[in-house]
This record gives sequence, C-alpha cells and structure tokens, in this order.
Amino acid sequence: MGGGYVIQQTTRRNARQSAIRIFAQEYSDANLPEEGSGEYDPSFIITKLGAKINRALIGGVIDRLERREGDNGPSYNGHLRDATGGTHRFNIAAFQPELHADIEELLHRFEAGDRFLMMVVGKARWFESDDGGIFTSFRAEEFSVVERETYVRWLVDTAAATLRRLDAQVASLESDLTPAGLEAAGVPRDLVDGMILARGHYGEFDAEIYRVGVLQGLQMAMNTSGNFEAAPPESFDVQPTTTTEPQQSTVMDGVPFTPTTSSEPDGNVDDVIKTAISIADQGQGVPYDSLVLAAVQAGFSRLVAEDAIDDLRDVKCEIIEPRFGFFQILE
Amino acid sequence: MSDDDKYSAQVTVVKQECKEADEAEIIEEFRRYEEEFLIPPEDALRSVIRKFQAASGQEQSTTFAQPARVEKKVDRFADLGSDDKNVTLEVSVVTYTPRIQMVRGEEKQIAFGWIEDNPWEPSDKRERWDFKDWGDHGANLAPSSIVRLEGVSVNEWNDKRSININRSSRVTILREGGPAVPAISDEPVTIEKASEKEGFVNVVARIIASKPDVIVKRDGSGTIDIVRGRLADSTGSIGFLSWVPIEHEVGSLVKIDSAMVKKFRETPEININDRTMIEIFHDKSFASTEVLSEPTTVKIADLRNGMRDIITTVQVESWQSRTFTNAEGEERIVRSGDVMDPTGRCRLTAWCEIEPKPGDFLHLTNARVQYWQGSPDLVIDKLDQISNLEDKPWESIDPANHWVDVELTELVSGGSRRGITTAGTIVAVRSDSGIIQRCPECRRVLREDACAEHGVQRGNEDLRLRLVLDNGVSNASLLLARAPAESYLGIDLETVKTEIAKEGPEGFVADLRKKLLARNVVINGRALVDEQGAMIMAEDMTFDSTSAEDAAKSVMEKWGVVM
Repeated sequence: MGGGYVIQQTTRRNARQSAIRIFAQEYSDANLPEEGSGEYDPSFIITKLGAKINRALIGGVIDRLERREGDNGPSYNGHLRDATGGTHRFNIAAFQPELHADIEELLHRFEAGDRFLMMVVGKARWFESDDGGIFTSFRAEEFSVVERETYVRWLVDTAAATLRRLDAQVASLESDLTPAGLEAAGVPRDLVDGMILARGHYGEFDAEIYRVGVLQGLQMAMNTSGNFEAAPPESFDVQPTTTTEPQQSTVMDGVPFTPTTSSEPDGNVDDVIKTAISIADQGQGVPYDSLVLAAVQAGFSRLVAEDAIDDLRDVKCEIIEPRFGFFQILE
Repeated sequence: MSDDDKYSAQVTVVKQECKEADEAEIIEEFRRYEEEFLIPPEDALRSVIRKFQAASGQEQSTTFAQPARVEKKVDRFADLGSDDKNVTLEVSVVTYTPRIQMVRGEEKQIAFGWIEDNPWEPSDKRERWDFKDWGDHGANLAPSSIVRLEGVSVNEWNDKRSININRSSRVTILREGGPAVPAISDEPVTIEKASEKEGFVNVVARIIASKPDVIVKRDGSGTIDIVRGRLADSTGSIGFLSWVPIEHEVGSLVKIDSAMVKKFRETPEININDRTMIEIFHDKSFASTEVLSEPTTVKIADLRNGMRDIITTVQVESWQSRTFTNAEGEERIVRSGDVMDPTGRCRLTAWCEIEPKPGDFLHLTNARVQYWQGSPDLVIDKLDQISNLEDKPWESIDPANHWVDVELTELVSGGSRRGITTAGTIVAVRSDSGIIQRCPECRRVLREDACAEHGVQRGNEDLRLRLVLDNGVSNASLLLARAPAESYLGIDLETVKTEIAKEGPEGFVADLRKKLLARNVVINGRALVDEQGAMIMAEDMTFDSTSAEDAAKSVMEKWGVVM
C-alpha cells in the first residue's frame, strides 16, 4: 500500500479499569476469577451479582494491620471492616516502597491502639488454597485515612452500586443468558459480561442477603448524617432507644437478648444456641457473634459457646453453616 | 439507656477474653465503633476483642498460605476435579460450533462442542464432555482430530462439568482431522451497528455518494487510485474508502460482504479491498437516495473529528481574525471564534469573510469537523455555507455561565467536548502532581532538565495536579492546570514551592491524597476523548456538597428502597 496511507494503530492500550464500589460481604463471597489471556490483559474477580472486579474502592474501619519482613523488604496486610460487618483484606507488597512510609505511619497509629476509617483503592487479587477455595483480597494502590463524612458518602455510593447489581441480577433471571437478551432485559452494559459468567458459575443463591448490607449503609447515612460528632455524648442517653439501637430491624441481628444478671449458666449451652437460631433465623441464618452473645448472656463463657457451636456443627450435626459465619438448624 | 447498659452484653464478652481490660475503655471503644465507624456492637465484638488482646500481647497473627499453581496432567475426564485449572490432557474433537458472543463489551467468536477423552481407544471406552473455546483455537480443533490440550480448566454448572479452552491454553494437533470449521460469516448489520466497532462487517446499504480520488504516497513514489464515498441505510450513513474500483453507481442498493471498519481520526469508515464482495441487493422498501442523502443535523455534543456535510446552528461567543503566511508564501486570513449551543461549546473556523458579532446565531450547512488541540472544531470554507439567523433558535445563552451537565459515563463514551460539568470520586492522586518544569520552546514537561525535542533547557516552572476521576462504571484522567490548581489549593505557585521545599514532593502528594482521595467532586471543564480513554481538563474543581442523607434519599427513591 506504500507509505501514503497511515493505518491507524489498532493495538489500543488497555483502558484503565474503573474502581467498583463494593461491600466486603459481596467481595468475600466471590470465588470466580478470570485471568486475562495476554500479558497486559486485566484479571478479574466476578461476584455473585455479576460485578467484574479488577479495581475497587473500598472502605471501613481498620481492624488489623501488620508488617511482615520478607527477603525483598517489608510487606503489609490489613483488614477493613465495613458497615456490612464483613472484612475487606488488603495488602501492600514489598515492591511498592512508595507506599511504605504512609502505611508505616498508620501502622504506628494502629499499634498504639488508634482505630480510624480508611479508604483503599486496590486491585483484585486472589489465591487458591490446596482444596480449591478462592480467597479474595486487594493489593492497595492508594489509601488514605478519611473523615466519617467521606466514608458515609462511600456507603451511599456503594449501596447504590449494589442495588444496581441486585436489580440487574433479578432482571437476568427472566432473560436469556446472552448479551442481547440481558441488554434487552435492562442489564446495564458494564454488567452484562460479568452477569453471564456469574450465572454460569454460581449456583442458586439468595441475592436478598446483599440487600441487608445496602440497608445498613443507607440507614447509617440517614441516621447519622452530619452533626454526630458535634453532638455531646449525653444526648445519646435521652434519645429514644429506636434511633440509637443498632440495626435491630434487620433480620440478621434479631437474636433476642434477655439481659440477665445471673452469672450461673442456666440450662444447656447447646439448647441456648439452637433456641437462639430457631428464634432469630428468618431464612438467612444467624451470625456467629450473635450466637456467642446469646450464650454469654445465658452465663456461658465465650470459649464454651464457641466450642459448642463447632460441636453442634461438626460432631452432632444439628446446625449447619451454609454461608461462612451464619448458622441454621439442620432440619 | 446509657452507654454502660447498652453495651453491657458485649462488655461481658470482652471482659471474659481480656481480663485486664478496663470496662470504661471497652465501653468507649464500642461507642466509637458505633458512632464513628458505623459498626454496631455485635459486629464490632471481634474487632474490639482483638484490639484489647493486642494491647495485652495476646494476639497471634495469622498467616496466609501461598497458592501453588501447578499443571495437572490427566488421562481421563473422570480424574478431574470440579475446579481444576491448568489441566493437560489429550482428547478427540467430536464437534466444533463457532458463534459470536459479547465478551467484555466486544463481539468475539467463541465456540462450543463435544470432546472425548481417551482418544486412542475405541469410542465405546471414551467419555464425552462439552467444551467451550474462548481463545479462537478453531484452526486446531477440527472435528475428528486428536489434540493435546494444555492449560485448560474445568467448569462446573448445574452439576455438569465441561472444559474451558482459554485464550492462554495451547492446542497441539496430534492427529489431523477433517477440515477446520471456518469462522462464521456474520449476518449483515445496520450502518449504526457497523459504526460502533472496528473489524469485519457485512452491510446492506445504498451508495449515496461515490467519486474517484487519489492518495499521494508520502515517500513521493507515486499515487494510488481510490474511491471515496458514502453508504447509508435508515439507521445512518458512513463514509467508505475503496482500494479497488467501484462499479456500482450512486443510488445502487448493495450488499457488501467482508468489508473492514476502521477509524479515520475519530470517525468510522468502511474500507473496501479486493477481498470484499459487493453485489446488487433487491429491496423495494429500502429508503431512497433522496431520503438518505439529506444532510444530518448535528448538535455540538455529537461532533466527531472527521465528520463532513453536517448542518448545525450555533450562538457566537467571540470572534477574531488572524493573518498568517502559509507554506507557499501566500498571506491568508483565518477567522475563528468560540461558539455554543445548548449542548456545549466548540470553536468555529471560517476560511471566508464573515464577521459575526457575539450573540449572533449562525446556521451552518455542509460544515466539516477537524480537531484542534484535541477538541472538535467546526470548519466552513465558503460564505454560502453560513446564514445569520434573525429568529433566535433558543433563548440566548450566557457564555459566562454555560456549563452542560454530563454524566461521567456519557462523557467518556462520547466525543471530546468543551463546557461540561461532571461529577465523580477521586480514586488516584498521581505522584507527579506539583511543580514541573516546561520547555520554554514547546511547553513539553522536562524530564531530568531535558526536553525530548529541544534537549537540555532551563525550564519554566508550572503547577499541575494529575488525578483520576471515577464513578464506579467509568473513569477519566483529571488534570488541573496552574490556575484551577491554585484556586483549588487556595495557595499560589510560590507558596506550593515553599511547601514542597519543606516537605519534599512526596510530602506534598501525600497531603494532597489525604485531602482528595475518595472524595466526591464536581468538575467544570472540557473533555478530550480518544482511543486511550478520556482526559478532563478542569477549569475548576469543587467538593460535592450533597449531604450523605440527601444522597441516601435519592438512592432510595431511585431504587424504591423502603426502610
């Protein structure tokens, strides 16, 4: 063709991946990685709701932070706990020295007992255990300690993003699992590909469990917007219990606490746990901490409660843990 | 209820685990988790225990196991686990059926079919599985061939297992089979669809313009005869460039197979070469040439580089003329100005004598679009292309305050635009934000005191902030040049210099990150969109002032969430 006509370069660089807003609950449930084929192709974690995650914006209170000394220098692991109660894991590698000074500063604060809200922009990563389990986490690219206000806005944005995926997931159930079919059903373009992969990989599940986290995030934004820090602590005493009571309205936290002053255990710990489950379970299972709490309320030690839960699940087979950390009675 | 009572249940648990912990401190910690970190006491329990355990040195750290990704070689499907990856095995290909599927927003050819294990034995000793080919290995997967698959994975869905042959998988032919299945030929697509992607297409369209043209080779070795023209159907029109003569006249309805869509500048164009087949197509109901050749009326927001023959109306904001001497030594005058319509702003360049006043409305016909500094620029060549409208097509726009709200995703997927307002979250603060040195000759950023073009230079200082704006679906680079950067920071370049001298460039960026990362902002400015992505040049940046409560309310309204 000669040198006359300059053909446009068709090898386009990979565009930057957008930072998906996601709660810890949805991300830690995901176990479908998709590795890029070419050297520079991005890899993804695909969640049950069809989010294809290469990069994400996550937030929460710092729950764990530690340094590891390795041959190539230090690396750092941290946990952020967000409003869904779940935990986002992130890591800063030895080969990211530009982040080390800042994380050392935070590590110092953490080790001195300080806890703070943090936001992290990270790349999805995972490892596969010997038995085939996929464990998801993030490699931090940038992070910062943030004000509550910034975090609450993230809760709202992430609630919106999760609702959008929930909506798409519902739409996908009644349409052909083809790009055209899903788009016709109203699944947004950026979710089509992930939705097909998710529906092909994950079995049936109750998507409504993710709505609980959404409600928690939104409720916090509604209840606590603005002047919380300005309010004197005494004001909490006089507020009606309904507004200060944490999230009791959601089904997950419905374990009844009967405050008891007795320090003597009453009854059998197994019965206490099973009763707690049968009262509080509305199909989603009952969270671990709530069961421990119920047992402690009844006068048992935490250790006894934990052992009893393990025993009921693994030996007596009277309860099951269909989802990590949530328990149901085995019918 | 006081905090003491409220958390008493949790405090009891913490006390059991951490006997030395002070009760008041525990209560304070639960209060902080609930009020500052928005984590209810039940959820905070483990965190608080861990904190007090750490304080008393009880905490043991957990270790993460490292993955080992090893190749798994098997002879039979039965030996495979439901989530085995990087599997190597030999199979016989039974069927191979290609089809087109959207993969990551692009149409890709994938294929599915049957394979059987134990390929060297009679077929009654084999097991048959489905497979999917994601990697376009069709040439090596001809039916009845025997192949070795490497790097494939097992997929399980509804208790049924199948094999995924990935792009990175290797397929080696061990025994040739029949002929490979050719890539399926696509059905014809509309011009609208054809304009959306690059690659092979088939279209049915009417030729509404066609004329011979010549390309002069840059090396001076001669010319190439080509044909340029335009194809249209009811969904739109697209230019074509043919490297071979076109026998069909203007007005012919044709079916074109195996043409190639390429982008010339920003505008897609159909390329026709000697492998393209063009034949007359019969369809009495197909729109006529007259209907199809009506020039398209375009708004400023929809301008793309390389467009021709467009009609548009603009309001003039400013007008200048400039005299220059061209390469041939002639003196020429070019007139240009800033123009607006309700969808945005752009520049207008006129190669003819016209002197509109600010506020005039101009109706332009047969205008073309060229890029100037990355933004679309309307160009007119002759006076008869312009008419000055008496009647206002819209209420006069105030240029000082004309920002058009464009959602980030729409902005990023459209063309370059000026005069836009958009919103998103800052997800990156680039470490080269701050003071830079520019080449005094060409304004390029100096690297190690040298310009790529002009060598070692004493640079001119400048200030800029480089960020990334992201809304969870789309993202764009965000650049604050000196003026908007100074206005955002609230300090001038000299003060920034003093700060950097004090804390170092890293300290400056770290401070910036503390202020900006994860913050929602609103940007006024212009957007440059090309193959590499989108870049927004901010004219000003402000923090989004929507309260979390209002944001939550609108989210609940949008998605019908009831508390």
